Amino acid sequence: MDLYYTREDEEFRARVRAWLEANLPREKLETLEQQRAWHRAVYEAGFIGMGWPVEYGGRAARPMEQAIVGEEFARVNAPPTLNGLGIAIVGPTLIHHGTEAQKRRFLKPMLTADEIWCQLYSEPNAGSDLASLRTRAELVGDHFVINGQKVWTSGAHRADWGLMLARTDPDAPKHLGISCILVDMHAPGVEVRPLRQLSGSNEFSEVFFTDVRVPAEHLVGELNAGWQIAQTTLSYERGGNTLSRVSRQLALFHRLLQVASRLERDGRRAIDDPVVRQKLGQMYTEIEVLRYGSLRILSRLEKGIRPGPESSITKLYYSEMDKRHQELVLEILGPYGQLIEGAPSAYALQDGVAYGEPGSWAYGFAYSRAGTIYAGSSEIQKNILGERVLGLPKELRADRMQAHPATQAQAGGEGGA
Amino acid sequence: MDFEFSQDQMALRELARELLTERCTSAHVRAMMEDPAGYDPALYRQMGDMSLLGLAIPEQYGGSGLGMVEQAIVLEEMGRVAYPGPFVAGVVLAATGIQASGDEAAMARYLPCLATGELTMSFALLEDAIGWGPEVVAMRAVPAGDGFVLSGTKRFVPFGATADVILVVASTGDGPGDVSLFAVPRETPGLTVEPYGMFDLNAKTCALHFDAVRLPGDALIGDLNGGAAALDAVVQRGAVAACAEMLGCARKSLEMSVAYAKVRKQFGQPIGSFQAIKHKCAEMLEATENAHSATYYAAWALDAGAPDARLAVSVAKSFVNEAARKVCGEAIQVHGGIGFTWEYDLHLYFKRAKHLEPLWGDTAWHRERVLEEVLAGRVAGAAAGR
Ligand SMILES: Cc1cc2nc3c(=O)[nH]c(=O)nc-3n(C[C@H](O)[C@H](O)[C@H](O)COP(=O)(O)OP(=O)(O)OC[C@H]3O[C@@H](n4cnc5c(N)ncnc54)[C@H](O)[C@@H]3O)c2cc1C
Repeated sequence: MDLYYTREDEEFRARVRAWLEANLPREKLETLEQQRAWHRAVYEAGFIGMGWPVEYGGRAARPMEQAIVGEEFARVNAPPTLNGLGIAIVGPTLIHHGTEAQKRRFLKPMLTADEIWCQLYSEPNAGSDLASLRTRAELVGDHFVINGQKVWTSGAHRADWGLMLARTDPDAPKHLGISCILVDMHAPGVEVRPLRQLSGSNEFSEVFFTDVRVPAEHLVGELNAGWQIAQTTLSYERGGNTLSRVSRQLALFHRLLQVASRLERDGRRAIDDPVVRQKLGQMYTEIEVLRYGSLRILSRLEKGIRPGPESSITKLYYSEMDKRHQELVLEILGPYGQLIEGAPSAYALQDGVAYGEPGSWAYGFAYSRAGTIYAGSSEIQKNILGERVLGLPKELRADRMQAHPATQAQAGGEGGA
Repeated sequence: MDFEFSQDQMALRELARELLTERCTSAHVRAMMEDPAGYDPALYRQMGDMSLLGLAIPEQYGGSGLGMVEQAIVLEEMGRVAYPGPFVAGVVLAATGIQASGDEAAMARYLPCLATGELTMSFALLEDAIGWGPEVVAMRAVPAGDGFVLSGTKRFVPFGATADVILVVASTGDGPGDVSLFAVPRETPGLTVEPYGMFDLNAKTCALHFDAVRLPGDALIGDLNGGAAALDAVVQRGAVAACAEMLGCARKSLEMSVAYAKVRKQFGQPIGSFQAIKHKCAEMLEATENAHSATYYAAWALDAGAPDARLAVSVAKSFVNEAARKVCGEAIQVHGGIGFTWEYDLHLYFKRAKHLEPLWGDTAWHRERVLEEVLAGRVAGAAAGR
């Protein structure tokens, strides 16, 4: 055991910090153009798609270097770069399963965010039970013809391309008739209808597909092998970079501490209330434990050990913890925690934030309710931990009892994009 | 960055596991409940022969010169079997006190025989009041001739009834931090032992009554009024040792629960297929893995002298206290009625974890310290906030 960062890591961190000091935008990025310019600058500095192989525009960086970048960017609350989903999920999927032509065509503009991607998995009747999806892709000559509906598609309204799971063999058992297809979001027959979220923002949409024609060469991997491919992409999503989450939680904590040192409650500063102190001590403790767990995963990644189903522990812990912490924020700050317009600077998370925009206490509180739903709900994570890590018997499920015997072998798969 | 155990550390774990599986069976643990000494001296000496006692003792004093991480590895194994014995009292608490006192004569005198197991020691801090700093010490050591006279009562002294020598914290000055350490042989006239019975019958503790106990000058360990720093080191290491033992209790309880949930059938199916049970087991796994990360991070931070070592210790103790309580308690729920029997071993772990929870700082005490460390900026370099 040696939990110090290596000299090399420290030097790398210093370079990232120096770059951020020189390049961090001073103003809020309002337009997509401004966001693209920021993304481009980060890309050119070499901080995007770092883990990708060099031949596809990446840096083949070590997991630790990627983690340090995530940590440092979150530490200074850098504006998000674009195309996170594409770069974290679609890119690795193509690198592992795509044809050479697909890699040449799609990877570079994905990295530069010249083409933005979304993930077309969930449907109205296929959420946790993703494999029951019904959007149909029929191979007609050299094209797929796609009909159906996706929902909760994050970023669909600004996406150029989508990574879709669609049913290509309706007669096969449910896990065996699914394919993974790249869909042009500007193609005729694609209709995106934005949905307003609880947070007030319009980040996800429902997407309708009516006779959308997709060239057959946009199939990823084998026909009807989409489920296996999706399993690997879901593990990228869950194995995600938790050090940047640690940084974000720490930033939240330190701002809460500042405000709690000013805010008077019941005749004394919040920070002088022993009950509040206990809760703050617990909050910090829980963040530190996330940090230790992240270092543990990183140290395994550095040795080439990919996190398996146990990465569900981090997803479960982080998302449930975030709910507790956001609730604590609102508990300590009382009505100030819910104030969006007119919030005094002394008590606000950030100034000048509108309803539905990140940067208010309440937005964080709202969003914490999503973290335990997307990328596999907490209940699904517990199923994964119970069944695939601890080896407990599967629950009796109606679909397993009726389906084709082959499904039984396949049906480890609960999903949730 | 390497959070994995080294080959040597894995081998140490195997060694400890083999020894304890063979020698510290459930039958042994239960027999020791009734035993007034509460432990098997032969097993203890064997640990000395196998170099398990001197892990954290410097090589020049007959130890292996390793640290808290290695001790934690062994203690986790001890937690798995609810080992009863004076390991923590001697080679964690007393040895840390002596080393942290900087008193080389005392180190040369005590550490080598602690490492072999020829000598057992304990550490006496608590009196009527509960607390973990020098301010709780009311017992005074009054100078008399070349030596000192001690009067008063120390409570909750671990394996104090059998320890050859007890390291006693006593007040020697007027300030609240003016405490000193004294090595007191248990056979000293005026010192009487009153054994306690604890909820965990294997956690032997006692009260020590000091009735004008006269000590020679060389009983003083370290500088006069210089005991606070040593006490602090003992609390830090005592807390991490408790974490490691609680972690072992949790890990064992989790394993037993999962194994049981696979075979016990109700309503025609294994109870582990019910989500209420499966999800409980998943949460127990989550708590146990997080407890592992917290315990070993803290142990490493102490060994490395990391800037966030105190923070890490308080994070670990407050977190593992709750994690182990939850896991050991829920294990009983997963087992149903059989989990509530004396016959079944779950209560051994449940009680050991509970025993350790208030010691060397309970959850609330450590949470307050976490906040103090953060407010003072003593956090890990890279994690420092804005
Ligand atoms: C903010 C946000 C962004 C999203 N972005 C995307 C995206 O970009 N692309 C995309 O494809 N999807 C996206 N999703 C959708 C997300 O993946 C699904 O919401 C998720 O998989 C859950 O599916 P569902 O909403 O249909 O809920 P359901 O599956 O109907 O679940 C409802 C409740 O039942 C529980 N439940 C379901 N099955 C089980 C079971 N077997 N055992 C125990 N409990 C169970 C769930 O845990 C949940 O509590 C997003 C969701 C959110 C909230």
